[in-house]
Amino acid sequence: MKWTNRGNENAELDAMFRAYRDACPDPDVSANFMPELWRRIDERQRSVFFMGRWARALVTAAAVLSLGMAAYLYIPRGSTSVFAVESYVEALAAGHGQDSPNLPEQAADEL
Amino acid sequence: MLVDFEIIKRAQAGDAPAFNEIVLAYRKRTLGTIARLISRPEDVEDVGQEVFLRLYFSLDQLRTAEVFEPWLYRLTVNAAYDYLRKHRRRMESRMSDLSEQQVVLADAMAGGRVDHEVRQRKQIAEAVDAMLSAVSEADRILLTLKEVEGLSLKELEKIYRVKENALKVRLFRARQRVLKAFGEAGNEPSAKGAAKAEI
Repeated sequence: MKWTNRGNENAELDAMFRAYRDACPDPDVSANFMPELWRRIDERQRSVFFMGRWARALVTAAAVLSLGMAAYLYIPRGSTSVFAVESYVEALAAGHGQDSPNLPEQAADEL
Repeated sequence: MLVDFEIIKRAQAGDAPAFNEIVLAYRKRTLGTIARLISRPEDVEDVGQEVFLRLYFSLDQLRTAEVFEPWLYRLTVNAAYDYLRKHRRRMESRMSDLSEQQVVLADAMAGGRVDHEVRQRKQIAEAVDAMLSAVSEADRILLTLKEVEGLSLKELEKIYRVKENALKVRLFRARQRVLKAFGEAGNEPSAKGAAKAEI
């Protein structure tokens, strides 16, 4: 059967929805509904509690680690660092000293 | 309202007996709405418990007890929507998919033990289920709330938190999509006939 016009279509759809409402009454609730609900609530509460504890432990560990790293970086240590004793130019010259050709000697050979 | 505002306020404060009272007052209605939204009787209680579980953990976010019912509907809609997204409904229902209750019903019908009225109701339910499963979950839920649950536009406005005009447009479009889908499916005569006979 084809629906003939828009008004009919909508009226039939409304009627079908009403019939559907009557055909599907509210279901009966099982006796297990409340105990099962409270079991799920307790379970969720426990998991939330443990997650909270883990989160707090992680935050504490991260804070301790951050403080440790900050202390490591900012507390002055012995004079092992080149930057502490040399200027940048001196360090560069020392680093490239062996690699660069000895120009005055090379020039003397060519002559 | 099925419970006093005072009970809701007590439940908000963490009073377990007050929360119990709320669940007892609303569970049948909520399960009915869920049953019509998801059309899987075997999962209705599970989704219902999820609704009240969410209610328990979100009650403290409820601003005033006056908006409790739209709030509960909103939780119901969200839980049903999540369920429907997880379990994309199939058009044809096979025997292996049927719940125990449906299998018993099907057996009884085959044996002629269920009367004509029950058979007709089942046909209507199946016809409307098939029609609604042809559209999106959002359309299905909106149409069910408006046309089957009988919620007003004002109530839907509170649940969806959108303006009435926008809701009207969404409802109109959802209806058009249902009509189109049903038209394309060929207007299964048996189901529609059953619906008309019931009407």
